[in-house]
Amino acid sequence: MKKLTLAAFGASLFASTALADDVTLTMWTESSNAPEAVFATEFSEMDNGITIDVREVRFDDLVAETLRAFATQSNPDIIAIDNPDHAAFASRGAFLDLTPYVEQSDQIDMDNYFDGPRSSLTWDDGVFGIPRASNTIALYYNKDMFRAAGLNPDSPPATWDELYEAAKALTDPDNDVYGIAFSAKASEEGTFQFLPWAQMAGGSFDNINADGVSEALDLWKAFFDEGLTSPDTLTRGQWDSTGTFNGGNAAMAISGPWELGRMASDAQFDWGVTLLPVPEQGAPRASALGDFNLAVFANTENPDAAFSFLEYADSQAERVWPEFTRMPSRKDIELAPTGNEKIDAAAPVFVEQLQYARNRGPHPEWPRISKAIQDAFQSALTGQKGAQEALDDAQGQIDRILN
Amino acid sequence: MNDRARNIALFAVALVLAGIYLFPLYWMYVTSLKTNSSIFAVPPEFLPGTPQWQTYALIWDEANIPRYIFNSLFIATGVTLVTAVVGSGAAYVLARYRNLWIDVALFVILMLQVLPPSLMVTPIFVAFSSVGLLDYPRIATILAISAKTMPFFVILCRAAFMTIPRELEEAALVDGNSRAGALFMVVLPLARNGILVAAILIFMQGFGEYVYSTSLIADNRLQPASIGMTNFLQPNVVTWNAIMAFAATYVTPILALFVLLQRNIVSGLTSGALK
Amino acid sequence: MNRLMTSLRDGIGFDTLLIFAALAYLMAFAGLPLIYNIIISFQQVDMFSLGSLFHQAVGFENYAAVFHDPLAWRVLVNTVVFTLASVFFQFTIGFAFALFFNQKFPGATWFRGLFLAGWVMPGLVVGVLWNWLLSGDFGVINYVLLSLGLISEPIFWRSDVDYSLIAVILANIWYGMPFNMILLAVGLAAIPDDLYEAAELDGANAVQRFFTITLPMMRATIGAVLALGIIFTLQQFDLFAAITSGGPAGSSTVAQYWSWQLSFREFDFGRGAVISVIMIIVVLGVSAIYVRSTRAETRL
Repeated sequence: MKKLTLAAFGASLFASTALADDVTLTMWTESSNAPEAVFATEFSEMDNGITIDVREVRFDDLVAETLRAFATQSNPDIIAIDNPDHAAFASRGAFLDLTPYVEQSDQIDMDNYFDGPRSSLTWDDGVFGIPRASNTIALYYNKDMFRAAGLNPDSPPATWDELYEAAKALTDPDNDVYGIAFSAKASEEGTFQFLPWAQMAGGSFDNINADGVSEALDLWKAFFDEGLTSPDTLTRGQWDSTGTFNGGNAAMAISGPWELGRMASDAQFDWGVTLLPVPEQGAPRASALGDFNLAVFANTENPDAAFSFLEYADSQAERVWPEFTRMPSRKDIELAPTGNEKIDAAAPVFVEQLQYARNRGPHPEWPRISKAIQDAFQSALTGQKGAQEALDDAQGQIDRILN
Repeated sequence: MNDRARNIALFAVALVLAGIYLFPLYWMYVTSLKTNSSIFAVPPEFLPGTPQWQTYALIWDEANIPRYIFNSLFIATGVTLVTAVVGSGAAYVLARYRNLWIDVALFVILMLQVLPPSLMVTPIFVAFSSVGLLDYPRIATILAISAKTMPFFVILCRAAFMTIPRELEEAALVDGNSRAGALFMVVLPLARNGILVAAILIFMQGFGEYVYSTSLIADNRLQPASIGMTNFLQPNVVTWNAIMAFAATYVTPILALFVLLQRNIVSGLTSGALK
Repeated sequence: MNRLMTSLRDGIGFDTLLIFAALAYLMAFAGLPLIYNIIISFQQVDMFSLGSLFHQAVGFENYAAVFHDPLAWRVLVNTVVFTLASVFFQFTIGFAFALFFNQKFPGATWFRGLFLAGWVMPGLVVGVLWNWLLSGDFGVINYVLLSLGLISEPIFWRSDVDYSLIAVILANIWYGMPFNMILLAVGLAAIPDDLYEAAELDGANAVQRFFTITLPMMRATIGAVLALGIIFTLQQFDLFAAITSGGPAGSSTVAQYWSWQLSFREFDFGRGAVISVIMIIVVLGVSAIYVRSTRAETRL
């Protein structure tokens, strides 16, 4: 039944773009289970003369593969790309400027998107794609452990001080429990986790040594120095860190909505989610903005067909939450209940947190900026530099990249 | 009796050494049966609480395992053939003479494999693409991997050829064989164990190769198992148990085969065709 | 024409043909990419112009940038330590195992076969397994050491700047040992038993037999194993990516991993290529030593 309505919908909305000859497009994405890959299969089955071949490329290899392919003009027509990587391609003219298409589209309205995702794919006032979904990070906490430590599970930490005190109270080395789990890995994941703290303290990627950012880094360092988090936080990604939370070896964890499915099935305790704590009451909020954008390559022979697929993907945005546990990037979509009580309780927290989510960049040289930020927190956390010194050094590097 | 005690002692030591060494392999199997969170349990769980056999069903359904394994075998066989055919002759010549030119050739062969594939793949990709080799992606991959395995094969086989007494080849020449005849009738059969060991090592390298395969083969349908496995590695969600189950599924048969084969080969070596 | 054919079938032409087939193959598929690396180390390579061979030449600018990088010294030391420690332990442990399994006892060859498991496993899986085994909290290695009372506090192998390189070395020894073992086993098997029997009759003990027969007879094999071991170790990549990502704070970054990071994480292909060139120079040295060592080879 659902298939049928989809097909009918597709036929009516996209009939106008169907071409006389059958068209085959290629799309590269990180997983055949990702929303755009599933949508592509449906879209190919419609009677619109367009077939989309999907190639899975491991996330770690995606940019390098795409660069090589672009260098030899063997790139795909459409790509799903991590949002901080988008600007590099957009700024170099690798992606097609979709502005004229978007202006005429009945489906896509750029004003519907949250600011973060929209700006990640905008370059020089041009629109170079659409977001497929968005995610952000928040604070998961183990309510049972809160109760056992005499903390109120209904009033989780809201400020950095409260977070620190809670982490201290919850750390229990005798039972192999750390207060908090997160990721300070020397990779994009580490930047993704650290940047919101810098932003809440008044910094930004181009002003990483702003007053206050060193306090954020000092707080992270206190987690390490006082044994409130595992030293392996330095080399562990978010998924593995949150795995220790699910197993009852950490009382709090900072991670995103992608954890919900596993946590709902694996965690043998009562848990909740709350917004990332802020420096002090009333301070501005910030959070990370993750997930991918869909873009069309400028050298495609079938821009119309490619854009019609983007329209189809946008039309299915309601489904990304219930079917893929990803958050729609559109403000006008409410998250439908999934039927899982825990996940449904967490949903509004992530929706609110997403409003505060800020971009990484956008900047064509983002990977190098990110590396400077990673060097800063890693050298401070391992005690090789003081927090302020590390941030100043990073700012020096970033200034050289920006100018 | 004394011999028996010695054998038992040696056997026991071997068992302990193997037990320690193979622990990571055991960890692969046991992890494939754990839930995604109990992988991170403290203290570590040496046995899966409730074995999650359904993970195997899941990967079998979700990933096209037979197809991936077929591609892996195809690539590994191709690499072994190309390497052995091109490499054996060179190894033979390098073992036969002792002069400056041979030194230079050995030197060049060794040196050419200095860089890791991850640093070689960009120029190879660009070059292959410009001559149209990428239209035959598995062949392209075989050619690229063979260049990586060739020096290794040549050095190994050269050592094998070195152990063959020169007089045997000369006797064959005296008997009226041509050089080619002597090579095929006398030298190669004598060196076959060494070549076989090297070929099997090459086969296994080709079987697990990742970097060239992922870059040169754009079509998922032609990719080997080493890449199929990484489809469970997604940006934020990594189903480790599925990855381990996938790895176990494709490593186990090849490992079993190898343990059986290795026994024949090395026992063939020790009994010695040369004595 | 006829003479050429005869030469190809029966003379020096036959040898030349065999060796040139291999050399030509290698030059095409390995030599040209190396040359490409050398060329772009002198160029400013933009991430979108990878396809062309000629970019803006910048002389030694990339080299200067690499040598002035605060990480450079650390990477150099790490690379040397990683390579020497890995090769030393792979070789000595591999040799010990080869000798052990060379004794005739039931199941010896079968056990030896089992040790090749490491060789079959994909690098990614090996890396992830060692990542977990070496984990400070839930890692099996700490668990065993703590249970045996060998350490009183868990060691954070991956995340302690003093241990991170050791962590990768441990995993690499495990990974590379079987390769050393099997090659050395093949070499051992090639030594005629009557040599040992004669020496035994002369009254030589096991240690003497090892130094007077085993080692000299194995020169060719040992030279090959060490040269290949060094080159393989310089190519080790998966373990760094999976266990420490070169961190924390660069404490376990080695040349090959740094080169990849510069090229594919920061998209500075010129600087990445500089490190490749330095590695090429190092391997030039290793190869030269190996070739010299083959001079001492004896042929049966």
